[in-house]
Amino acid sequence: MVDTRRLIILGLLVAIAGVLHAVEGWLPLPVPVPGVKLGLANIISLVAIVLYGWRDALAVAAVRVVLGTLLGGAFLGPSFALGISGALASTVAMAYACRRWRPALSLVGVSVLGAAVHNLAQISVAALLVSSATLLWYLPYLILFALPTGLATGFTAAFLLARLPAAGR
Amino acid sequence: MRLTKADKWLTGALLAAAAGGIALNMLLLSGVGAQEARVYKEGKLVQTIRLRPGYHEELRLGGQERYNLIVADNGRVRIAEADCPDQVCVRTGWVSLAPQQIVCLPYRVVIKVVSSEPPDVDDITK
Repeated sequence: MVDTRRLIILGLLVAIAGVLHAVEGWLPLPVPVPGVKLGLANIISLVAIVLYGWRDALAVAAVRVVLGTLLGGAFLGPSFALGISGALASTVAMAYACRRWRPALSLVGVSVLGAAVHNLAQISVAALLVSSATLLWYLPYLILFALPTGLATGFTAAFLLARLPAAGR
Repeated sequence: MRLTKADKWLTGALLAAAAGGIALNMLLLSGVGAQEARVYKEGKLVQTIRLRPGYHEELRLGGQERYNLIVADNGRVRIAEADCPDQVCVRTGWVSLAPQQIVCLPYRVVIKVVSSEPPDVDDITK
């Protein structure tokens, strides 16, 4: 069954996530920890999960990373490995949390969890890439910064979803 | 939009875990006294550079292209120059105290600052 509206909106979500991710790369963050990011594309993953479920959300995340690294010339490089692992792991975690714990855990909590899992997946892959397990010691610092960014992206996604016209669903 | 109880618990738990991890990090790995920088390339130890006042050493990894220029000076070490695409390693800047490290993911280079006298558990417990 071809659902044109769904396809168009998913395509738009991929485009928005790609742009957010690119823009975020240009913003210098005044933190002493390299690797800390705002995770703006996380907003789109959350929206995709709520609107269309985990399958489509995973597709949006994967296509966003593949397109983004293809255009940036980093396809299949280390930053691709980092991007895809973080995007897929956090989307899976957030989709699971949405389905299992949602009334108790709000979208903001889901977002915080997603941000933490994103960092966990990325630092694990980075540790594998450089064959150095001590890189994992870095995780607490990343999680510390993931909390405020996860809260911020969670609130943004919640406000966005509250204001989307019902026709979008 | 309000945070639920579970949101706060989750955030609190993550905050506690992060704080605990950082504290453990400092306790277990932080070095006082003599420090050295261990330079790893593709998981193998390439060179150990001593970090002490007045000592200067430069080390170039890689060839004409795909290189990292590592500079140790006056008890600190940094990657002064590299032609990697993301420049994360260069922007990390100077590090001087264990457990700080510099990572260049594209070229799989890791520089770890470690205490030359490895801290043993007894030192911490006493």
